[in-house]
Amino acid sequence: MRVVVIGAGEVGRHICQQLSAEDHEVVLIDRSADRLKRAERDLNILCIEGNGASARTLEQANITKTDLFIAVTDIDEVNLIACIMAKEYGVLRRVARARNEEYFSGVSPLNEYRLGIDLLINPDQVMAQEILRISEVSEAFEVVDFAHGEVVLVGYQVKEGNPVCGVTLADLRDLRGLYDFVIVAIVREGETIIPRGSDLIQAEDRIYLVVRRRDMAAVEDLFNLWSMVPKKVFIIGGGRVGFRVAKALEQQKVDVALVETDPIRCEHLAEHLDSAVVLNFDGLDAHDLLSEGIDTADLVVAVTDGDTTNILSSLLAKYHGAKKCITRISRPDFIPLLGKLGIDVALSPRLVAANMILRFVRRGAILSVASLLGSDAEVLEFVVSERWVNVDNPLRSIDFPMDTNLGAVVRKGKVIIPSGDTVLKAGDRLIIFSMKKAIPMVEQLLTS
Amino acid sequence: MRLGTIGALLGWLFLFLSVVLLIPIAFSIYYDDGNWQFFVISSAIGFVLGGGLVWFCVSEPEIGHREGFAIVAFSWLAAAALGALPFYLSGAIPSYLNAYFESMSGFTTTGATILKRVEVLGPSLLFWRAFTQWLGGMGFIVLSLAILPILGIGGMQLFRAEMPGPTKDRITPRIQDTARILWSVYVLFTAVETVLLMLAGMSFFDAICHAFCTLATGGFSTRTDSIAAFHNPWIDLIVIVFIIIAGINFSLHFRLLSGNWKTFGRSEELRFYFGIGIVATIFVMLANILFATYDSWSDSLRYSTFQVWTILTGTGFHTANFDQWAPMCKITLVTLMFLGGMAGSTTGGIKQARILLFCKFTRMQIRKLIHPRAVEAIKLDNRKVPAEVIQSILGYLSLYAVVFVFATLIVTGQGLDMVTGSVAVIATLNNIGPGLAGVGPCENYAHIPGLSKGVLIMCMLAGRLELYTIIILFVPSYWKDVRYPRWRWSKA
Repeated sequence: MRVVVIGAGEVGRHICQQLSAEDHEVVLIDRSADRLKRAERDLNILCIEGNGASARTLEQANITKTDLFIAVTDIDEVNLIACIMAKEYGVLRRVARARNEEYFSGVSPLNEYRLGIDLLINPDQVMAQEILRISEVSEAFEVVDFAHGEVVLVGYQVKEGNPVCGVTLADLRDLRGLYDFVIVAIVREGETIIPRGSDLIQAEDRIYLVVRRRDMAAVEDLFNLWSMVPKKVFIIGGGRVGFRVAKALEQQKVDVALVETDPIRCEHLAEHLDSAVVLNFDGLDAHDLLSEGIDTADLVVAVTDGDTTNILSSLLAKYHGAKKCITRISRPDFIPLLGKLGIDVALSPRLVAANMILRFVRRGAILSVASLLGSDAEVLEFVVSERWVNVDNPLRSIDFPMDTNLGAVVRKGKVIIPSGDTVLKAGDRLIIFSMKKAIPMVEQLLTS
Repeated sequence: MRLGTIGALLGWLFLFLSVVLLIPIAFSIYYDDGNWQFFVISSAIGFVLGGGLVWFCVSEPEIGHREGFAIVAFSWLAAAALGALPFYLSGAIPSYLNAYFESMSGFTTTGATILKRVEVLGPSLLFWRAFTQWLGGMGFIVLSLAILPILGIGGMQLFRAEMPGPTKDRITPRIQDTARILWSVYVLFTAVETVLLMLAGMSFFDAICHAFCTLATGGFSTRTDSIAAFHNPWIDLIVIVFIIIAGINFSLHFRLLSGNWKTFGRSEELRFYFGIGIVATIFVMLANILFATYDSWSDSLRYSTFQVWTILTGTGFHTANFDQWAPMCKITLVTLMFLGGMAGSTTGGIKQARILLFCKFTRMQIRKLIHPRAVEAIKLDNRKVPAEVIQSILGYLSLYAVVFVFATLIVTGQGLDMVTGSVAVIATLNNIGPGLAGVGPCENYAHIPGLSKGVLIMCMLAGRLELYTIIILFVPSYWKDVRYPRWRWSKA
């Protein structure tokens, strides 16, 4: 597949890296020669300097032969115009990033369908959605829906003293009894293990389970974890992400306190929020945070623009007894390190937005894709079609690539734990856990 | 401050009123009550005065916001003076002060009367009494804005001074169109109520007089016993419904009539207005049942509902002598007197929007004690209310209290007892009409001493024009740069 990406910012670079690693032909267009030089050095892609919305540059990038066009510059209008141009050139699928919320309003007569954009993505909105998804379950650091939300993939951190420490997966399988769940992966010290029956669960492991949504409570009970909707949430940073999260949470009748340094921004927030309390002080002001009761918070969301403020205020909240924290960090390289520090969930807006775009790009037979934070694994959902070569074959006859694990088969809402004898039928949903480098092979297998 | 502009506009107002004064002659001739010549004389006086002022004073091309206040205040004082003439000349009200009180009570839609029996006036004067209320309800300056091109420039200043309110909603870009729309809605509702009252059994004369006084939330009736004289539950019901309608912002009515249901339902103030009215009705009804004021609970419901809404909106019609009710009910009604209807309606009182915003402000103060560093916004209909509006409301409420205290001091100082004196001030300041004790629904204001009557007249006007327009006239610096009129014959 030939892909043209305009905008060599964080998101653009991440997408280029991912797609070129998957053996696609990637062309990157940007106005800054500096940024392009860096991208060219690191990645195996073609770089073109120029304005992404100009016909000359696009023709230079051989736009007519392109299958996918991704516009992720910092300027919304450039992205939108570039996508409209790409449509005229006959590019099949077009993705644009737009920050300005007004372009998303449903009432406008000129929405994304009219403009011929297949996916219009707002990084703040996506980030806020991600935070809200994770906030639902207190101890899970990752929740991904599959099969229309009937099945979820949940990630848990196993803490010292948890009864499942030192138990092998085979033992757990006997213990499991009534509930269907599969442990699809264990992340131990930054390394992803696709576990076998004899593997032990150890303290500080991050385990990924596939479970039916309605069994989630029972499974959490089994793992001595608890889950609930947060009652009291502190949001540090009243930017666009903080505002969106606050707005969504207050609609769920959650107690929200929103901390913001800028008094003018505070006025704006107070005007547009209802029950949420808008507090005007610095996110690192420990005394004020404590007097407002951050120690009793169920969830702390640190989403200021400064990584240091986010990390420090999350650590402060955790130290004083806040139950869980979600921290925004703009440098994804630090994510593995933050787990060690005690930060429960670290999200990079760039990764989140890029993953959303990648998920869209891979749409087809593969329904959804989630990159798991802090690991180099992805989860794919795939519906078995009647035409697939391996339909009605037992699993043992299918040649799965290395570093890939068929996590679960969902058949008519029931989770089946696959064994060698499991026969795949048309309409089954497969939830596949795979290392990133094996994804092209998985795609090939699934679409053959 | 250009007196020339003020004089010229007052002149136009007199000319306008001299035309209006001819209308009751039709009723006088039809009912043959022999009062037609008094209207002709009054009209002639108005014409001469008006013509003189228009002829002698040269209006400046623009009305500043200072002139606006004076024009509106003096127009009202002058209109009441001219409106009092038919009562005085006909001899129905022998004292001119009493006639002026009656006339001002009419124009300000108060409904307080100095007459023991209103029937002595005869049809044409009764019609004039109701008609003054109707003119004052939506405001005759707004009316002249709507129909007279003369007030074209600077109309906004006058509109603001006559139809004040905590929040502004312009429904059209041009103020003349807004005035025209508000008056059309007003006329439409009046016509509908007249027809309904006639269907319920009133004569055309009674129906149109009561419709005038309902929509203006005035409360002058053609009978001494007010609505109670008709003994007709249907009339009660029609009047209640239109009292409630008159208490709603007229630009909301316009939006509703033009098919915009959504803004109507979304208005927070509307919900607050209904909430207060309904809670007070239930409360007073239960109290009346508890104290066994009426034999059946249905009577209790009927009379409580009517009295609560008529007092809340400052109409002042009555179907029961609430002065005989239990003290708990009376104090509830006195509290309701202060509230009034929605901003932009024809009601008196403080107005629901101010009360609602004041409640929100108080809640914010309390929340600030809990979260000292919280930033909060006061919102109405999901839009932020600017700090200046809140400040002006706080100022308004304090000024209201000060005016109330001073007026009560003067009135009680002249020998009125505490309940009569204070309630008389409340009932005039909020444009209600009947009060309690000596000024109760079955009593009148005739026995009040002269100076107190003057104070109550000013209370009515201050209440109708929402204080500032009147109070500002008493501030010395307002008069500092008076410019005397340029006479027509003087060289520029």
